[in-house]
Amino acid sequence: MLTMLAVILQSNPYEVAPPVYTDNASIWHHMSAALNQSLFRVLSLFIAVLPGILAFFVAIGIFSLIGMAISGTLRRVLTWLKFDERLARNRSNAEWTPSSSPTDLVARISFWACVLAGLIIGVAAFDTSYAAGAPLPISLLPYFTHAVGAILLLIAGNLIARFLARSVLIGAVNAQLQYARFLSLGVKWLVLVLTAAMVLDHLQVGGDIVELAFGILFGGIVLTLALAVGLGSRDLVSRSLENRVERSGERSPVHDGSASAPSETIRHF
Amino acid sequence: MATADPIPDVTSATPQPSATLLVMAAAMPQDQFERLLANLAAGFPADTMLVATQNEFASSPFPSLRVIPAPHTNAAWTSTAADFVNTFQLAHEQNVRAVLMLGPGAGSLAPAALRSLADAVLSSGVDLAVPRYMLPPNAGLINSAILYPLTRALFATRIRFPQAIDLGLSFRMAERLAAAAQRFTTSNQADALIWPVNEAVVSGYSAEEHDVGLRALPQPAETDINAILSLVTGSLFADVEAKAAVWQRPRRLPPQRPLAEEPSRPESTAEVARMVESFRFAYSNLQEIWSLVLPPNSLLGLKRLSIADPTVFRMPETLWARIVFDFLIAYRLRTINRGHLLGALIPLYLAWVAGHINVTAAGTSSERHIEAVAAAFEADKPYMVSRWRWPDRFNS
Repeated sequence: MLTMLAVILQSNPYEVAPPVYTDNASIWHHMSAALNQSLFRVLSLFIAVLPGILAFFVAIGIFSLIGMAISGTLRRVLTWLKFDERLARNRSNAEWTPSSSPTDLVARISFWACVLAGLIIGVAAFDTSYAAGAPLPISLLPYFTHAVGAILLLIAGNLIARFLARSVLIGAVNAQLQYARFLSLGVKWLVLVLTAAMVLDHLQVGGDIVELAFGILFGGIVLTLALAVGLGSRDLVSRSLENRVERSGERSPVHDGSASAPSETIRHF
Repeated sequence: MATADPIPDVTSATPQPSATLLVMAAAMPQDQFERLLANLAAGFPADTMLVATQNEFASSPFPSLRVIPAPHTNAAWTSTAADFVNTFQLAHEQNVRAVLMLGPGAGSLAPAALRSLADAVLSSGVDLAVPRYMLPPNAGLINSAILYPLTRALFATRIRFPQAIDLGLSFRMAERLAAAAQRFTTSNQADALIWPVNEAVVSGYSAEEHDVGLRALPQPAETDINAILSLVTGSLFADVEAKAAVWQRPRRLPPQRPLAEEPSRPESTAEVARMVESFRFAYSNLQEIWSLVLPPNSLLGLKRLSIADPTVFRMPETLWARIVFDFLIAYRLRTINRGHLLGALIPLYLAWVAGHINVTAAGTSSERHIEAVAAAFEADKPYMVSRWRWPDRFNS
């Protein structure tokens, strides 16, 4: 039957049809050739990006060394100029003073600025050498800069959250608010949730889902705090307010010109 | 041959008798101001004195007194940097030898007290005359708890009120204080506090204390203890930090003056119980912040205090001295934000106040207890100096 079909199909009725199955050795030969070609492409790609990687680490290393030198020099110069004392004299407001001395801050900022500059230059060098070496459509530079920005946002948000939480805790404890710790935790998580949403938005991850989730979570936390303070702890709030009114009434300033009538109240100053 | 004298006759005007004492009176109610003028007129010859006042005055009821206007400042309960700058400017313009700075409520000072302060800087060669007020036991507690003990321990001076609102200044002392105040006024901080006793010690000028009896001390308009304590303590801590090179040197303390006896006060149970409760509340919430500043020994002492009964609640003098010194070290090292640090000190100060009230109610003289606290500060100064010089050595 097959022979008849082959005879019907073949142009030359007298030509013999070729056999259906090939030799095993040539299959392995084809497979190994394909594997070799893939390996060769991978290695070529790796060799193409290797200079870029090397340039990246060299740039970071050099700029880190420059940053260390600048940081050390700045620290010595500012210490010699008594920068901290001069600044302390000019700024008596202790509210916003950082936990590190101004000299330390300047030195650290200069070091990390140099490291960041090295990072950017290293990524640019990597991107240039990579784009010149191989035609891959994806460029890492924009995503990497977004990632650096996201990390900076995360660090800043974390610092702000801790600062605000501590400020609220101390202020609420001194104001004798019974829900001081709860308030402090609420403020901290509000800022952290806001920071996380900003970071994800900056990285363009999630899109509308992240925005919606953030809105629900943030609104939920705010509503919870409001309900806890307004409704759930009414008695505590009214007692706290009554205590404050009593204390302010006892502490009202005594502008008395007579010095012969000592006061029963506690006067701190 | 006679020639015309080329030099024309210059008829000089008869010079006004210059005053030797400038009295800088802060703004105060008119009745207080008139009482002050009456006391000044009774205590001083009119021709040797010049009164500068921030009050509006159309005509003085004492025409013999020379009264001139003084620039307005925001001084309400203490002298500010602007006051010292204005004082020196006027003293320089009027060419006086000494200055008497009087705060609001100075009408309650007796003429003899005013005379005593003025004589010290005019005749006795003293550069800084500081009054010692006779206050009720429950008044001036921030001064008793922190300002006096810390100043006495570090600057070796027994002046009881280092931030007195009334001062007698020699001309050079006024100049020195104006120079210190200028650093604040040029950076738009006219309301900053200046520490005259510390400045006198640093300059090597003489300072004396004079009993002036009872005086109605003006109270801050801001009744929030949190803000006042942070302001005053923060200012003193910053001043101590700036003068570290001076107070680390050993100094001999002047001999102690006899303590004035005063009747003990009845116990104010409600106040003590409330302050103890607020301390316990703060202990349960701020312990992790205190642990960043205080060593384990102090934390253990606070733990024992937190379970003490309000009737026997008393902070040991050594513990309080160690706490203040550790907070001062933390202020310098910026262990935590300085605003947070001073806020965390407030419950500890209130705990000290509760103990002080209990001590005075038990019969101990208030002054005797405060002297004991100051002695504890003195005894712990070596710890303070060691930690200042080697801050990491005591990290546990």
